Amino acid sequence: MLAPSPLGRVLLHLSNLLVIAFLLLPIAAVTLGALQAEKTLQADTRALLPPEWTLDNFRVILSGGEQRGAIFEQVTYLPDNVKKIRFAFTNSTVIALSVTVLTLAMGALSAWTIARLRYRWTRWLVNASLLARFVPVITLMIPLYVAFRQLGLLNSVVGVIVALTGFLLPYAILILAPYFDQIPKELEDSARIDGCSRFGAFWRVSLPLAAPGLASCGALVFIISWNELLIPLILVNKAEFMTVPVVINSLVGDVHVFFNLMMAICLLALLPSVILVLLLQKFVVAGLQVGGLKG
Amino acid sequence: MAIRSEPAAAAPPVRAGRRELAPGRLALVMNLPTLLTMALVLAYPIGYAAWLSFHRVGPAQLRRGEFPWAGFDNYVRLFDDPLFLLSLRNTFVFVAIVVVVEIVLAVAIGLLINQQRVWTSRITRVLILLPYAIPPIANGLIWSFLYSFQFGFLNRILFTFGLIEEPVNWAGHPETALYAVTVPYIWRTLPFAVLLVHAALQGIGTELHEAAAVDGATAWQRFRHITLPLLLPIIVVILVLRTSFAFTVFEEIRAITQGGPGDATWVAAWYSYKKAFEPPNDIGLGAASAWVLALIVGALAIVYVKTIYRRIH
Repeated sequence: MLAPSPLGRVLLHLSNLLVIAFLLLPIAAVTLGALQAEKTLQADTRALLPPEWTLDNFRVILSGGEQRGAIFEQVTYLPDNVKKIRFAFTNSTVIALSVTVLTLAMGALSAWTIARLRYRWTRWLVNASLLARFVPVITLMIPLYVAFRQLGLLNSVVGVIVALTGFLLPYAILILAPYFDQIPKELEDSARIDGCSRFGAFWRVSLPLAAPGLASCGALVFIISWNELLIPLILVNKAEFMTVPVVINSLVGDVHVFFNLMMAICLLALLPSVILVLLLQKFVVAGLQVGGLKG
Repeated sequence: MAIRSEPAAAAPPVRAGRRELAPGRLALVMNLPTLLTMALVLAYPIGYAAWLSFHRVGPAQLRRGEFPWAGFDNYVRLFDDPLFLLSLRNTFVFVAIVVVVEIVLAVAIGLLINQQRVWTSRITRVLILLPYAIPPIANGLIWSFLYSFQFGFLNRILFTFGLIEEPVNWAGHPETALYAVTVPYIWRTLPFAVLLVHAALQGIGTELHEAAAVDGATAWQRFRHITLPLLLPIIVVILVLRTSFAFTVFEEIRAITQGGPGDATWVAAWYSYKKAFEPPNDIGLGAASAWVLALIVGALAIVYVKTIYRRIH
């Protein structure tokens, strides 16, 4: 790149500030909302910063409604979903972790056969994955609801895990197949000469070398399954089996729930995936650029 | 990847006495979990959705477990429903705005974060990923807080800078609501487009730019005649991918407007969801509308796979 002129440099800094402000706008709003009471929010509808800060919103959520703090002393109604939000965080964690492990395991097995064994039908599997990525979730959910209802799989964490894994496998294949393809084949060949089976060469040689690809894929799969709303929304309707996005969804339009409480829940909900993205930044970028995933 | 019907290399000698699966069989065994799961969760439901769309499926039928044949009845009712046609229209408007704005912003921000010698660009490069991590439904709820007529943050900011006198009801007016919901969606999905542009920019060498600068080309001329043509392939990729994904927007609509005010922000996925999963639970009609959506997106997918994906890989 050519060095920008002094004036150009100022304009570039200003543009960056503008973009950064836009990127941080919702983050600032959710944080400020979560750290104040409904009362201060309504007292002055024009001030940017509240006169008082409070952690009561978090206290109520984390204690499941046991500790009410100063804001919620007078409040008699608290939705069941909010009281049981600890279930939701446990469910979301179990579901996101299981889906990540399952998708990585199955995806790696398939991706290696696509890159190394090269049959016409494994090539076809890549095309099927590409097409599958475009299928709208809503189109899948209507028949899955009917089928799971008949099988008695509604309101089950396993049902959500199976549905999400199937939905995300094409993503894993599209990221991992090119990754295995660029690992030198000679490494596996020499392992074979030393007496390794084909599967052994995959297991002991290629799989460890694919660790960065697995990290990219795993980070994306975890984020997408942690964030997914429609699949658990349609397969689950009891508070014990809900995930965090489903609980958030249930609060939309509930006039009895303060915006501040909702913002505190949103903040807790976005923390795990935000931390993951910032920690694994390099891998997330690589995965998005290779897989061309949904934005 | 070249297609070969035989394994790439002849098998090296295997230690005597050791038996292993033939490669064809090994491929089948290793793909079995993937094939089964994808058949169960992807292939079967797509077929079953088509089947359901030709049958009458409501709460009574679900209880009995019998779905009477309805022919094209669901599709006839669908295209006779002004609300469905309005939802399609709204979806097209939404997609057009989102895709055009995202492409312009992605190229601009991509160029911005590609500036190695500007230190603020490094901050932008880190933060640009942030929206990707936010759960879409939380994003919707946060923006409905931002947009709130009574105590929203957007109005507070504009008051602070003296830009408005009275609070503005951003998402509450039928004329502006659809535009209001495009902003949160663009915010959340922008990182993907920026990263693709950024990757493409890193592949463009500096030689052409330096040569053109020596010849007296201005920055705009260099962008117009060197950078933009080289970015065109990735812009087409973003166009197709973002168009097909934006067609299925759901969470931001659900959190911010719930289709309102009136029916100003009904979109295709919202229509299918409301028809199928809210009383009177007309699942047959919902399946038909979801299939129409899948066909629109599927057409784009085939264009993508047949022409663009082949050329990149």
